[in-house]
Amino acid sequence: MSMQLDPEGYQPPKLGLLLLQGLVLLLFFCFFLRFWYLQIHKGDEFAKLARENRLRQERVDAPRGLLRARGGELLAENRPAYALGLVREDCKDIASTIAQVSHWTGIPEESLWAKYFKDKPRIKPFQPLLLVPDVPFDLLAQIESNRMLWPGLEIVIRPRRYYLQGPLFAHVLGYVAEANEKELEADSDLALGDAVGKQGLELVLENRLRGDKGLQQLEVDVMGRELNRKMVQEPMAGDSILLSLDFELQRIASEAFEGQAGGLVVMDPDTGKLLALVTQPSFDNNAFAAGLTNKQWNELRDDPFFPLQNRVIQSVYPPGSVWKVLMAGLLLKEGVNPRETEFCNGEFYLGKTLFRCWKKHGHGAVDMARSLIESCDVYYYEMLNRIGVDKMEAFAKANGFGEQTGLGLPHERSGLVPSRDWKRKRFGEPWQRGETVITAIGQGFTLVTPVQVACFLGALMNDGKLMQPSLLADSEPTVRRTIPLNESQRALLLDAMRRTVEEQRGTAKRLQTKGAVIGGKTGTAQVVKLKLKANDERQKVEEMEYWERDHAWMASWGYKGDKRYVVVCMLEHGGHGGSAAGPIVKRVYDHLFSEENQ
Amino acid sequence: MAIDRRLLTHMNWGLVLMTAILFCVGVLNLYSASAFMSEDGIAMGSFYQKQLVWGGVGLLGMLLVMVLDYRHWRSLAWPVFILTVVLLAMVPIAGKTIYGAKRWISLGFFNLQPSELAKIAAILIAAKLLARNSHPLGWGEFVKVIGVCLIPAVFILKQPDLGTTLNMLLNVGGIILFRGLSKGVFRTCLVAFPACLPIGWMFMKDYQKQRVLTFLNPGDDPLGSGYHIIQSQIAIGSGEVWGKGFMEGTQSQLRFLPEKHTDFAIAVFGEEWGFVGCTILLILFCLFLLAIFNTARDAKDRFGSFLSAGVFFYFFWQFLINMGMVMGLMPVVGIPLPFISYGGSATLVNFCLIGLVLNVSMRRFVFKTN
Repeated sequence: MSMQLDPEGYQPPKLGLLLLQGLVLLLFFCFFLRFWYLQIHKGDEFAKLARENRLRQERVDAPRGLLRARGGELLAENRPAYALGLVREDCKDIASTIAQVSHWTGIPEESLWAKYFKDKPRIKPFQPLLLVPDVPFDLLAQIESNRMLWPGLEIVIRPRRYYLQGPLFAHVLGYVAEANEKELEADSDLALGDAVGKQGLELVLENRLRGDKGLQQLEVDVMGRELNRKMVQEPMAGDSILLSLDFELQRIASEAFEGQAGGLVVMDPDTGKLLALVTQPSFDNNAFAAGLTNKQWNELRDDPFFPLQNRVIQSVYPPGSVWKVLMAGLLLKEGVNPRETEFCNGEFYLGKTLFRCWKKHGHGAVDMARSLIESCDVYYYEMLNRIGVDKMEAFAKANGFGEQTGLGLPHERSGLVPSRDWKRKRFGEPWQRGETVITAIGQGFTLVTPVQVACFLGALMNDGKLMQPSLLADSEPTVRRTIPLNESQRALLLDAMRRTVEEQRGTAKRLQTKGAVIGGKTGTAQVVKLKLKANDERQKVEEMEYWERDHAWMASWGYKGDKRYVVVCMLEHGGHGGSAAGPIVKRVYDHLFSEENQ
Repeated sequence: MAIDRRLLTHMNWGLVLMTAILFCVGVLNLYSASAFMSEDGIAMGSFYQKQLVWGGVGLLGMLLVMVLDYRHWRSLAWPVFILTVVLLAMVPIAGKTIYGAKRWISLGFFNLQPSELAKIAAILIAAKLLARNSHPLGWGEFVKVIGVCLIPAVFILKQPDLGTTLNMLLNVGGIILFRGLSKGVFRTCLVAFPACLPIGWMFMKDYQKQRVLTFLNPGDDPLGSGYHIIQSQIAIGSGEVWGKGFMEGTQSQLRFLPEKHTDFAIAVFGEEWGFVGCTILLILFCLFLLAIFNTARDAKDRFGSFLSAGVFFYFFWQFLINMGMVMGLMPVVGIPLPFISYGGSATLVNFCLIGLVLNVSMRRFVFKTN
């Protein structure tokens, strides 16, 4: 075995080595100095902090912005709520503390533990984990007096959203509730237990309402008792927001429904601002802010009258005869002479199929104005059969139907304007001529929301400008588009609507209000296929099952001096438009044009 | 094969001693940090036991690395490197997601983290490439070394693991500096490196940027990473001259201190052992680093020298960054303190790298056998 020296005999550069060694020593010197600074120079100070007091930092909730009605009436504010929190770090015995909390509150231990384990990963040991979000006041005193025995328990005052009017504005305001897992993930500003907007304006305006949290520094002793509290950063309250809704009007309109289901919208035609947005039945949004129990939620969900449904924007209905105003507009645009008459004998045959007018023995000779005033069906069967579905579709869409109005509430529906294409895609069948005929009187597939109807009437009054409806007092009026009707055509339609109210035979004569000019159009929208009695007569409304009764429409506008309004009401299963929805709308006008309102 | 006595005589015993002491200090510290770390009455204090087990595994790895003459490791540099890159490339496809990051490949009995392997592979390959000749490093070789090491770096950055990427590249940079650059390259780097910082900033994740910003202005985020820095400073500072004594630290025991068993382990030590303990620990680390450094200096071939230098820089940077972070001198990045912080694969890698250095030191006078 022979040996051989490694051939390289490598020597690294001397200067570099010295430099590197120097660098290591320099680094050590720096750290040495830092230790000296922290432990000797500042040691006393830190030792004091560590020994007696400990620093904690807590976020301070920012008050959520207030919501007010047009006149300044408060609709949503924040009130203190008392929660029972557990600071894990200060708690000597978590199991018996939770048992005690269960004993006090009557909440089963299992559900307290469930809450505990669910929230624990997100809550630092020195932060209160909210075991009971809402402690009743009488219990509060009892817990407070025993708190010394239970270190780690803490009463936490948290702002709770409170809706002063409860159900009256519930659908508009929506509600807040505790942020869920997904919302917490998506938004780093949110902490566990924070309330966020879930519905209505609370949801849509979340960014404006929320504000910025503050930060305070707490010194606590070893028992977790607070010694000193210093605000490091003041919380910034969210914006307060003034709505365009009129408090009294909303109240009066709501009361006018008296246990019936339906929706009503009052709009300023010039700006698109909404003065009332009523949906009945309603619900109490305070229940959501406090946290719904399962039972409450089931009751709301299973209620056959769907109190959570915003009927003005989330429900769609066949427009019934209200549609005739639009169809008359189409006829004008297509060059039909408004004086041209059709003879109505109560029946219209398309081939062998019979279509009836609502008036059994007919209206006689009917021109355009008369067809609106008395709501003759045959006139529209005849006329629109000539025009065809394609033009009907284009015209309806040009007037804002079949699309959202953008009034700024979540889940607004766009309704439906049927067409040949739509029917082929939906049912795989071609369009039938009979469908054109029934679509002309607002039956068939067409579906609209009350707020779409209001926008259309607004455009008739307002130089043809289709406004975007708005719920906020400070929003700039926004024109969505101009409808394809010129001034004289719009004037003709408005005049017929006015005569519908003013003439003896007009279907909306119930709306007559002293000193004001009012125009209206009634509508009765079939819910189920007509049940004809043996003697070929329709059942009377009172004889029908509630769920089979027709929906009643009243679409109207009115002005007195420079005050102009559009009022649209839809009454579910109300029967005839004039007799059922009419009185509700009349109450609204009585208020709008009353002496004290002038 | 009979064990050559000279292998044992020439072994860097100082390094062995320092490593042993540091590891013991680490375990003791973990014992203290985790003994009282309980939630709901359930002790989580098994960290020191796990650390002991990993220490045993590490020792085994170290011996395995030492047995094979490091010059054989030189020939194995490319295969190890390529294997590492392949494993890294597999992570996005076959990787396992833990804590939201995809960094592991499941091998059934345990989860392999290829980025840990990459730290060793990068040192090996850089040492090999740089050892080819002795004249100052010119552009060609410089670009080649950097280019090769950027391959695994890109994969690791994508995982995303900025800490490991930086650690790896800094090690390679250290070896290059140790090797000596030609003046032209050196001057260009001096200018180019600061110019690259804004580009690096662009590649950082939002939370990483946030940490840097928080460091520059700790008041910004007193509940997030700022909180860690404030609390660790209180813990260290309150140790004062003599410390509160073993297992007597109130800050860490009362669960004020976050991450006390991993990245912030030194804060527990500082609280319990005070200025005196910290100074001794600093000296220990100093001697530890210089022991590795001596091997790099005394190695008789370039490869061995650069290999040891790479290991030196590996520990140097980790020490620098971790200490700087805990003491509020640097932004919070998740880099552990060697042997003091808890961590399984990190402990294994640490021991293996020490094994490489010991390998070089014990064979520095050995003659080649034909």
